[in-house]
Amino acid sequence: MTIPAFDLLKPGSVAEASEMLLEHGDEARPIAGGTTLVILMKQRALRFSHLVDLQSIPGLERITDNDDGLSIGALATHRSVERSPLVQRRAPALAQAFSHVGNVRIRETASVGGNLAHADYRLDPPPALLVHGAEVVLAGAEGTRVVALKDFYRGMYETVLEPGEILVEVRVPHAAPAARTVYSRFSSLSANDWPCIGVAALLSLDNGNVGELALGLSGVAEAPLLAAGLERFQGESCSEELWDAVCDVVDEQLSPVSDLRGSADYKREMTRVWVRRTLRELAS
Amino acid sequence: MERNISLTVNGRQRELEVNDADTLLEVLRDGLKLWSVREACGVGACGSCTVLLDGRPVSACFLLAARLDGRSVETVEGLAGDDALHPIQQAFLENDAAQCGYCTPGFIMAAKALLEEHGDPTDDQIRDYLSGNLCRCGGYPNIMRAVRAAAARTSDR
Repeated sequence: MTIPAFDLLKPGSVAEASEMLLEHGDEARPIAGGTTLVILMKQRALRFSHLVDLQSIPGLERITDNDDGLSIGALATHRSVERSPLVQRRAPALAQAFSHVGNVRIRETASVGGNLAHADYRLDPPPALLVHGAEVVLAGAEGTRVVALKDFYRGMYETVLEPGEILVEVRVPHAAPAARTVYSRFSSLSANDWPCIGVAALLSLDNGNVGELALGLSGVAEAPLLAAGLERFQGESCSEELWDAVCDVVDEQLSPVSDLRGSADYKREMTRVWVRRTLRELAS
Repeated sequence: MERNISLTVNGRQRELEVNDADTLLEVLRDGLKLWSVREACGVGACGSCTVLLDGRPVSACFLLAARLDGRSVETVEGLAGDDALHPIQQAFLENDAAQCGYCTPGFIMAAKALLEEHGDPTDDQIRDYLSGNLCRCGGYPNIMRAVRAAAARTSDR
């Protein structure tokens, strides 16, 4: 299977890449890992006359630990996140989530920034990033802005990225020392497939009562979702009844689409099962 | 656009003229006649085009060759020595780990990457690592045996 002809542009800096994207408009796309983009071009689902190669910009693949959080360069591969001792220590759910994507070859190639900017509704990493309160750094001709990941998605395959803007970094604030995190996915087809649903949870306990609580979900709405309104459970004691109440609040926010991996109703039911499991695990 | 890249293939440096839209698979097969690199699904799901890029397993079917200037690629053709197969090849042979053989080069390269990462892998680690390599003949039990045998062989060396 061949790929229709295009020109690969090699910028030396983010600013130059941004100019190239603006110059060619809808005819150009940035290419990071190139897993989804190249495959969709092979399948003739997408066609571009120019691809702007972000791998030719030095330094975008670094993973560093700053005082207040992790900085993950947009070009870091899924595998480098999954295997990073830094990420495994600081944000284990994140390492877990990245380790579930596709197969080992996809993870060696696919980038963190590409995963987020693609804005697919059923990817593993976004829920884990959402519970950490991650932010994305977007660089464009007008300068750089920082956007909370929960505000980055606009809908199915839609983000707030403006023409010429490039996602260059993901910032993951450190969770409070008492907080525990987990990512869990339900696969209804093969293990290498996209999840039917993915659930990440962050929970800290204060004398057996709920302290901080966050739930990130994927596969259950048009875009990855950070559940709102969970602060009302602060101070409540952990119990099956409480988890039921949490599930009710989450359920109101879901808008699943039926697809190969399950009907909308099925995903709704499975979300209850998985939210409860992750909370039980964290509270035990 | 045409451009020149330098690629180390199975230890030998090659100067290649590639088109921006050429995949690594096209360059390895059509240009260098390395027929072990096979396209089946074409979307990175089946593993029959698995090669090692700077030692890491990748799908050659969707990597753009024009982005690989200066990198190093290894295919199954580079494994055997002058008078002996690579221990992983030998283990696949002795354990009848190939039926039609189409997926075999991909499995062998994936197994090589696995064993470099986990010298003595558990069965779960083998299954997890090779879950992205598909054998349409369903020869998985023998492939598992072969990888276990190769692990024992390579860790003894």
